[in-house]
Amino acid sequence: MSDHRPEEGPTADELRQMTSEEAMIASAKAAGVHVIHRRDRFPIRGTRAEKRAERGVALAFAVSGLAGVAFIVYFIVGHWRWHLPGTSQDFQYYTPILGGTLAIMLIFLGIGMVLWVKWLMPEEEVVQDRHDGPSNDEDNLMTEATLVVGFEDTGLPRRGLILRSLMFAGGAVATVPLIALVGGMLKKPGSQLLHTLYRRNSKLFPNSDGMVPIVDGLWRPVSPDDMEPGAIATVFPGVRQKTAWGTDGLTDAASPTLLIRLRPGQTVKPRAGQAGWGWPSESPEYIAFSKICTHAGCPASLYEQQTGRLLCPCHQSQFQVLEDAKPVFGPATRSLPKLPITVREGDDGRLYFYAVSDFHEAIGPGFWERR
Amino acid sequence: MKDDDDIDVEREFGFEPAVSATGAAAAPSREKPRPRKRRGRLRRRLGATAVLSLALVSMGSLYAAFAASPSANDTGLSKTDIQAGRQLYQVSCITCHGANLDGIVGQGPSLIGVGGAAVYFQVSTGRMPATGQGAENPRKEAKFDEQQTEQLAAYVESVGGGPSVPQGSLRGPDDAIAEGGVLYRLNCASCHGVTGKGAPLSAGKVAPSLNDATDRQMVTAMLSGPEQMPVFSNNQLTPDQKRAIVAYIQTLKASKDPGGAGIDRIGPVSEAIVAWVGGVGAIMIAILWIGARNR
Repeated sequence: MSDHRPEEGPTADELRQMTSEEAMIASAKAAGVHVIHRRDRFPIRGTRAEKRAERGVALAFAVSGLAGVAFIVYFIVGHWRWHLPGTSQDFQYYTPILGGTLAIMLIFLGIGMVLWVKWLMPEEEVVQDRHDGPSNDEDNLMTEATLVVGFEDTGLPRRGLILRSLMFAGGAVATVPLIALVGGMLKKPGSQLLHTLYRRNSKLFPNSDGMVPIVDGLWRPVSPDDMEPGAIATVFPGVRQKTAWGTDGLTDAASPTLLIRLRPGQTVKPRAGQAGWGWPSESPEYIAFSKICTHAGCPASLYEQQTGRLLCPCHQSQFQVLEDAKPVFGPATRSLPKLPITVREGDDGRLYFYAVSDFHEAIGPGFWERR
Repeated sequence: MKDDDDIDVEREFGFEPAVSATGAAAAPSREKPRPRKRRGRLRRRLGATAVLSLALVSMGSLYAAFAASPSANDTGLSKTDIQAGRQLYQVSCITCHGANLDGIVGQGPSLIGVGGAAVYFQVSTGRMPATGQGAENPRKEAKFDEQQTEQLAAYVESVGGGPSVPQGSLRGPDDAIAEGGVLYRLNCASCHGVTGKGAPLSAGKVAPSLNDATDRQMVTAMLSGPEQMPVFSNNQLTPDQKRAIVAYIQTLKASKDPGGAGIDRIGPVSEAIVAWVGGVGAIMIAILWIGARNR
């Protein structure tokens, strides 16, 4: 730490005799820093070269200041309003101009400072002593004594009450943030993960025996006639009433469902117990699966109508719809839950899709209580 | 549903001679070692085939009478156009799709029932004629001009039926853009992306970018469902809704980027790479400059 002793440096009287530069070099040396080379770049003051360098630095600072002013002016005067294509889309310059002026302001401030050092300040080369090895015994003993006395001053070895109450408080302070992080995993989610709004509801839908109508993203009931072979539609439970947590059939996170009409010649190899869950039930042509990927809950909706594969864009899981959405590639391990669907005749004589029941398994990614 | 029935009738009609031929040819060969009793059954079967053929022929002609020619009435294309399309077909398409448009196994699919819309999309985007068998046919420069494409579409549709090439303005008015945006996000964005730049599918297939797609190419793609794309019929998305979607996509494409250079809106990952390589590179150069000795 301190190989040097103050008495090794120059005395106060000696220092008073020195010029400021000599004193600075002496003080650096006393701190273990040796100035090897030091030269004024412009020993003769006021040369043209010096003035040129000075103007260069000043120019950089001036550009920085002007850019700052330009930023403020454009921030106040400029407008960000979107216009249709075909009109003057002048908004496209707003953000770049703000960013550009800000960048010029900061960069030229930096450039000016670096040029100042490089062009005008004296050039200097210094070497600093390296301090190798452990501290000496004196330093070790002094530090140890300081620590021991400091601990004794608190009186903790004698005052057990304070020690224990402090440990209690410290434990509480440490546990509270931990609970916020881990607590969500301790609290059981209840049954809300096990059912969706497709669940039969005789109170809301007495006419259809409680079956929930299937609607598209604009609340229109979906009819088999709407879809050509090879068509898909993102559908939702037609429940307009708000749920306890403020969502309805379209906005509930568990709702999105992919309704698929197979191409001629495509047939589904159903999973055990899921035969006939499409429509017509004897040889399903329309089938519906939850859109929520069983891996991480992204919407798996990139449907390849010829291969029957359904892709999830997040982690490239692929599901084979023709095998009841069995995972065939990527990190997903469970099939997408299938929604049992049927049709009923509407008031206008057309057929419309209804959910026979809720999904028979929990949708989305797995969780501990999942059966 | 109704369209579907029509197609089925058309298809049965097209295949009708083949049905009776197999019935007549296959039955006697199986007949030989069997007892004579069965001859009555064969006769009955032949009779049934004849009746069925007659019924199919009459249904087909009835259909032809009522449905009229599918393309000629609304596209304004005449018989000479169909004839011209036929000649183009026989030069450029027949090798893979066959003389009767019913496809050749391992080379090209049947074009019966695909309609003019599919032909227009495939040919005008240069995907057809294809250069080879791959995961998917990429967009390339079209081989035929607009008129030739229409003629080809008219010919294929005149033989096999299916959705026609829509005519007139296919871009909705400005006040339909918002609705088009909703519909785009509901139906299209999952594959083509919110910025319309496309996305990869399985095994080398892609949902292409919409950068170069014209109004009519978008609508014909929705109508015909080319390659892996699902079909969006006029019942599912009405013609007005399709026009709204087109208006939205074209507005999106023509709209300038408020944040400056959008790097073709290829997404946050690629933008971050540009920021890292460009930004950190600039910082490194600055560090080298600050530390450089002044001579």
